[in-house]
Amino acid sequence: MTKVRAARQPASVAPSGPTVSISGDGNRLALAGTLDRGTLAAARAQTQWPKQGPARSLDVAGMDGLDTPGALYLCGLRDQGVKLTGIRVEHRALLDLIGGLELEPLPAVRSVPRWRQIVVELGKGAHDARHEALDIVTFLGRAASWTVNSLLHPACLRPAAISRHIAETGIHALPIIGLMAVMIAIVLGYQGVAQLRPYGGEDFTINLVAVSVLREMGVLITAIMVAGRSGSAFTAEIGVMKTREEVDALQVMGIEPMQVLVVPRVIALVITLPLLTFFADIMGLIGGAAISQFLLDVSPTQYLTRLPQVVDGSDFFVGLIKAPIFAFFIAVTGCMHGLRVSGSAESVGRETTRAVVKSIFLVLVLDAFFSVLFERLGV
Amino acid sequence: MTARTSAPTEPILSARGIVNRFGKQVVHDKLSLEIMRGEVIGIAGGSGSGKSVLLKTLVGLHQPNAGEVLLNGKAVQSISAAEKAALIGVLFQQGALFSSLSVAQNIMLPMREHTALPASEQEQIAAMKLALAGLPAESGIKFPAALSGGMVKRAAFARALALDPKILFLDEPTSDLDPIAASGIDALIRQLNESLGITVVIVTHDLTTLFTVCGRIAVLVDRNVTVDTADKLLQSDHPWIHEFFHGPRAEGAMKARKGHHGN
Repeated sequence: MTKVRAARQPASVAPSGPTVSISGDGNRLALAGTLDRGTLAAARAQTQWPKQGPARSLDVAGMDGLDTPGALYLCGLRDQGVKLTGIRVEHRALLDLIGGLELEPLPAVRSVPRWRQIVVELGKGAHDARHEALDIVTFLGRAASWTVNSLLHPACLRPAAISRHIAETGIHALPIIGLMAVMIAIVLGYQGVAQLRPYGGEDFTINLVAVSVLREMGVLITAIMVAGRSGSAFTAEIGVMKTREEVDALQVMGIEPMQVLVVPRVIALVITLPLLTFFADIMGLIGGAAISQFLLDVSPTQYLTRLPQVVDGSDFFVGLIKAPIFAFFIAVTGCMHGLRVSGSAESVGRETTRAVVKSIFLVLVLDAFFSVLFERLGV
Repeated sequence: MTARTSAPTEPILSARGIVNRFGKQVVHDKLSLEIMRGEVIGIAGGSGSGKSVLLKTLVGLHQPNAGEVLLNGKAVQSISAAEKAALIGVLFQQGALFSSLSVAQNIMLPMREHTALPASEQEQIAAMKLALAGLPAESGIKFPAALSGGMVKRAAFARALALDPKILFLDEPTSDLDPIAASGIDALIRQLNESLGITVVIVTHDLTTLFTVCGRIAVLVDRNVTVDTADKLLQSDHPWIHEFFHGPRAEGAMKARKGHHGN
């Protein structure tokens, strides 16, 4: 048998690592070098007895290095009836340790057939959806009742917490919401001009931008932004408190988490979102003015004089009236998912994602509902 | 029983003149520590004395403000990732098992990254490491979330041993464990040190572990370390060290020490 260098040395390990060689004649082989995880494959390839006879042996006196995978291999050979001879003192303890372990193979992971998995997932989804809907309704009711209760007993309100949340959800959101409102007005303006110009009606772009911003876009952009920014923050804050057992601590002290965690956030957001919407409306109209100046050659002064002719108070209030309702749903969804966090840190991330997805979904559903309602009411 | 293997003479790891500062607070001031090949050394100290920072400095996760750490004679910061992975294993306090992987996948991860072993072989080795850490093979397919505290520590042990490290760092291996599980971990540390000749560094304030497992103890006091055997430290007249080893909680541990040493 020829001596072969260990072939399977991974590049990431030392390029000229230890080597192993196995030589010998007949059923008596001798191993020399290092038997470790790097040389194991080479050793395995070289370990060949001509006959599966009973008198196979492997002399390991020439082995200078041994690690646990190597010892596992040697113990495996020993179990197959190979006699290990010349074991050095320093390797004996390791071989005894590994040989003494009760080794079982890792159990195979039970796998469910794909079609069954789909059925199971569907069933689970339906079941979860039902519970989810019930949970939302229950939590909405509880949050509403606690909020009203707090408003009726102003001594229970926590002005410090409310003002902190107003600052975080409102003032800090001003730059991004202002920017988004201007952008959306510009996008609408460009589309309007492009579509209306063939009919010679590009002047109506002013109406288009002003009405859509005031009725829909201002409040929608703001609500979506706030859901992503503050709804997620509510979930994460309360969720982290839940993982650190702070929520349990509150309950033990006889303080209702709804009262101190949910109500201030709901009240703060219900105050903030209409104000942010108003700000977004103004910024959207400013964006409209910019579009009119650059695309229609309508000066800001002319724009201002035309504005009252194309929009009236109802357009403005139709947009604004939706804000506190969106705010209530966003805050309650965020808090609900925060309180649903269970123990682990991953669940904070999972619940935050769910809270954002659900609150944006709810905002859009409510908006559709309002569109129908206002159409029926004729406003 | 102090020297676990034949001749722990040369240092496998030496820290020289380590200074760690956070703002104005000096945690370690010109701290030097030598860890000998094949020994079990405990690092003890009060809360906030910088035990964890020292551990992070020793394994190269934290760059000290001054000083150097030599691992096998090379600066720990300059050792390549693969080489370091084969040299040191760390058992983190909370286990730090990857929650998205099963226990067996956790153990196989370093093997997959740093060796060319085929998957079937890796599975065999993972099963062996599990058995070595005292876990049944069925726990290999479980996910960390399904394990108890003691099992998490043992699984993390198995992962730390994945690449047969020469030096094993244990951060509070017995904290949060019931006494039975903690004694099991103590026995495991002794067995690994004796059979595999692994150098073990234990950061702990579990007095039983310090007395029954560690050959030497490094006590972090006054921003530096006092290293000695338990017997010598018991006679120390430094007020904190005296309090630490003679307080009411030390008595039970002393009994365990006598029981373990058998004479």
